[in-house]
Amino acid sequence: MTTWELFTNGFSVLMDPYTFMMVVFAIIVGTIFGALPGVSATMAVALGLPFTYSMQPIPAIVFLVAVYCSSITGGSITAILFKIPGVPSSAPTTFDGYPMAQRGEAGKALGIALGSSAIGGLVSALAMLTLSPQLTQAALSFSPSDIFAITFMGLSILTCLDSKNILRTLISGLLGLLLACVGQDPMYAVQRLTFGSGELIAGLEMIPVLIGIFAVTEVLKQTKKRDKLSAEEGTASVNTKMPSFKEWWGIKWLLARCSVIGTIIGILPGAGATIASFLCYSSETKLSKYPEKFGTGIIDGIAASETANNAATGGAMVPLLSLGIPGGNAAAVMMSALVLKGVQLGPLLLVNQPQYLSATFASMVVTNILMVVVAIGIAKIFAQILAVPYSYLGPIIIMLAIIGSYATNMSIADVKIMAIAGVIGLIISACHFNSAALILGLVLGVICEGNFSRAYTISRANLVNMFARPVAGTLMAVSFVLLIWPIVSQLFKKSEK
Amino acid sequence: MFELICNVLLWLGLLYSYFFNVLEAPIPDRTARNPYTLKPDVWPKAIIILLLICIAINIFNIIRKNKNNPEFSLDALLSIRARMCMGIALILAASFVLEPFGYMVTCVLVLFLYGLLLGQTHVIRLAFMSIILTLVLYVVFSVLLSVNLPRGTIPELRNFSLYIESIVASVKSAIM
Repeated sequence: MTTWELFTNGFSVLMDPYTFMMVVFAIIVGTIFGALPGVSATMAVALGLPFTYSMQPIPAIVFLVAVYCSSITGGSITAILFKIPGVPSSAPTTFDGYPMAQRGEAGKALGIALGSSAIGGLVSALAMLTLSPQLTQAALSFSPSDIFAITFMGLSILTCLDSKNILRTLISGLLGLLLACVGQDPMYAVQRLTFGSGELIAGLEMIPVLIGIFAVTEVLKQTKKRDKLSAEEGTASVNTKMPSFKEWWGIKWLLARCSVIGTIIGILPGAGATIASFLCYSSETKLSKYPEKFGTGIIDGIAASETANNAATGGAMVPLLSLGIPGGNAAAVMMSALVLKGVQLGPLLLVNQPQYLSATFASMVVTNILMVVVAIGIAKIFAQILAVPYSYLGPIIIMLAIIGSYATNMSIADVKIMAIAGVIGLIISACHFNSAALILGLVLGVICEGNFSRAYTISRANLVNMFARPVAGTLMAVSFVLLIWPIVSQLFKKSEK
Repeated sequence: MFELICNVLLWLGLLYSYFFNVLEAPIPDRTARNPYTLKPDVWPKAIIILLLICIAINIFNIIRKNKNNPEFSLDALLSIRARMCMGIALILAASFVLEPFGYMVTCVLVLFLYGLLLGQTHVIRLAFMSIILTLVLYVVFSVLLSVNLPRGTIPELRNFSLYIESIVASVKSAIM
């Protein structure tokens, strides 16, 4: 079947009113699930599974793909409005989204998040349809040293996050990397840094730490400020003004770059939306003409993170459909549902059941377009919550944080971790450390160490051989330059003075 | 001063961890004998060494910058607001009582007490809203999303949670 036939077949499938209604329903469900803290994209797809039991295979795949894409987008809504990343991949969105919401530009921030999510999703859907077999082969040739180099490149943002406090930002990032070591080591399951606590053996769960450091810390800071503010006062004025065409045009190259990088990262097995959003945020900070503005509330930061994480959703579908290898947890849940429906995932899918590939493509395209309309409606309702007096909103955020942490694994230990992370976040802020850097280290630490260990063993403990591969070598060289350049340039400035 | 104390405590804590907590179980024999594997303690130890160096420089910088600063004293610690300390205590307490008290009681208490802490003066309205919001959150997460929220381990409070849940369930079955 040609690409054009796949393209037209996919849309003819969606012309069926029942299937189309399923997509709309899935977008609403997925966006709300994604927006709720503690309900990850994987959990959203898992929660969507019961709806598909009575469906035919095509509506089922269309439904699950729509839930998956919209849940990633939904995560940005609470990240922007309440500093609670609904999904881990929305964590970088809080860096610029929340300051914008605090300035009363919630509408613009949400508009950028939803629009750039749609663009990232559409580009990756096109890549999935046209380049599936080639991209998969390329991604499978990536070795652990290449993946380590990619994650290390993500970490190279550390010296750029706060140019006035490079040392403190580095300490924060290293603390994040150390926290990622808590629990069993990724290769041999040897316990480390648990201090005898059985609850830490499995390591620190990402969502409770994210919720604690971002949301709980913010409520605690507001608690201090409330001495001077009225209890009946809302958090911010709600302005639902959307971004202008000029603003979109200004970030066109950023959208293009992040769509491509996000798609490629999504294809890599074991990587995914979280690493894609951090890496793109990092690379755009470096490429920007005004890197110092990142983290203060600019549209570039939101667009980089949201374009990349949605582009990764399409990327993750590539190895799933072409090779039967799930690119991430959500794709693994989807895979189990599709196998139950009799779908033969793998190289034979395109030969025996091409309609599933075309249905997935069409679903992704329609979801990413409709999602903007549906999610703006949902976001506007969520945005009105900002006008609620803080004496009600603050405690609700605390309870959402508690339930969100608990719901991840139904574990009370996660709630305690969240509460402690909230207090640590406050101390970090008081000591002028950087919570974004800490989260960056924590998120990338596990992937970094696991791949470094594997690459070390494969190269027979030879670091030169380890980075002799063109991809790994080039990326490591670039990363070191990016990491050291801000420090060197500051030293130059000091010596000039 | 608070920053300096935190940095010193962090440095000492890391030093202690370097010697006593990096490895808490023996490395398997086969791994220990294999010269081509990265031992489980290498990565965290490398990070701790880097941290010890960076934090030591940071401590030196803090002392140097505040050498002639009259406000750099322990008095500054007393300026930490009591309200914030109560907030921290409330959140930590909530995380610890969630298991024995269960979701229902913990949620009502957190919403009510934190509301008071944030300056809400309409006590009756706050109490009413706390109960309503507890039920709304219960319906969203437990009924709609099938999250099994904790019911509590204290028998009386567990029975109370079950009683409320049975009311919600009967309302749900009446609607469906």
